[in-house]
Amino acid sequence: MDIDNNSNHLKKSFFKGLNSFIAITPMLLGVLLLLGLFQNYITTEMLKTLFGFNTLSDILAGTLFGSISSGHPITSYIISEELIDSGVSLYAASAFVLAWVTLGIIQLPAELSVFGLKFTILKNLLTLLSTLLIAYLSVLTIQVF
Amino acid sequence: MKQKIKFKGTKFLIVVITIYIIIGFIDFNGAINSFLNTLSVLNNIWPLFIFIILLTTAINYFLKPKHIMKHLGEDSGKKGVIYALIGGIISHGPMYAWYGVLDELRNNGAKDELLIIFLYARAIKIPMIPFSISVFGTPFTIAISLYILIFAILQGKLFTYLNNKFYK
Repeated sequence: MDIDNNSNHLKKSFFKGLNSFIAITPMLLGVLLLLGLFQNYITTEMLKTLFGFNTLSDILAGTLFGSISSGHPITSYIISEELIDSGVSLYAASAFVLAWVTLGIIQLPAELSVFGLKFTILKNLLTLLSTLLIAYLSVLTIQVF
Repeated sequence: MKQKIKFKGTKFLIVVITIYIIIGFIDFNGAINSFLNTLSVLNNIWPLFIFIILLTTAINYFLKPKHIMKHLGEDSGKKGVIYALIGGIISHGPMYAWYGVLDELRNNGAKDELLIIFLYARAIKIPMIPFSISVFGTPFTIAISLYILIFAILQGKLFTYLNNKFYK
């Protein structure tokens, strides 16, 4: 009797999990298709032209670059190394790596459809602010110590 | 047993497909290449989708809404913050893949503050630490990781404060 109940509960839990995944598939497909477009039309070379003015603009450019880029986080470190080697500041490179994993312009519509407008706006504003501050403070910290 | 599925992001998907169709008329090869990029990303992350379905099953099986309320709800306190930080650090894959699980937790009583903490703590990725050290050095990696943890908690607190001040 108990085994029957457990297997029923497991079945129910699985279908609930499966259904909640199926429910977000249009959102996931939308993000993946948009990702494909960005990877095809926005190149690293294009984005590199944004750097090299001053600390604030470098942090902003790094954040913008990171938030519109996408892919495995390892790629962000490879690009960061390239950026540092080509003379881009550490501020910009750290903002870029951080924005890569925390901000995602491509996934904003998806976030909106799952969490709603209020959550999405507040969350992204706070994330943007944190990314700018952390990039600045981290470089400052290693310069002091 | 049969549940009506409420799809999320349908309008967004229609807009993206429309963009593809328009681009297809202007630059057919570009649209095809973009689609191939999409298939390549999908090919890399599909195992994560299976993991997400199994994780959601486990959450539904083992955790009742009252458990979620206790550990991640309004009265979860410092323990909830620690769970959210650890969850964020150990979670893998793209952020959007986790939206379904977070939505499920939220619908069962997890508070928004902890979802915010979870989402920001994802910036610390344990397998990426060696790469971070090789590019930025050890002191920088330690500093940025500590700041991420601090700002994840601050973001959660600020979110609750702003939410209460402007939306309630």
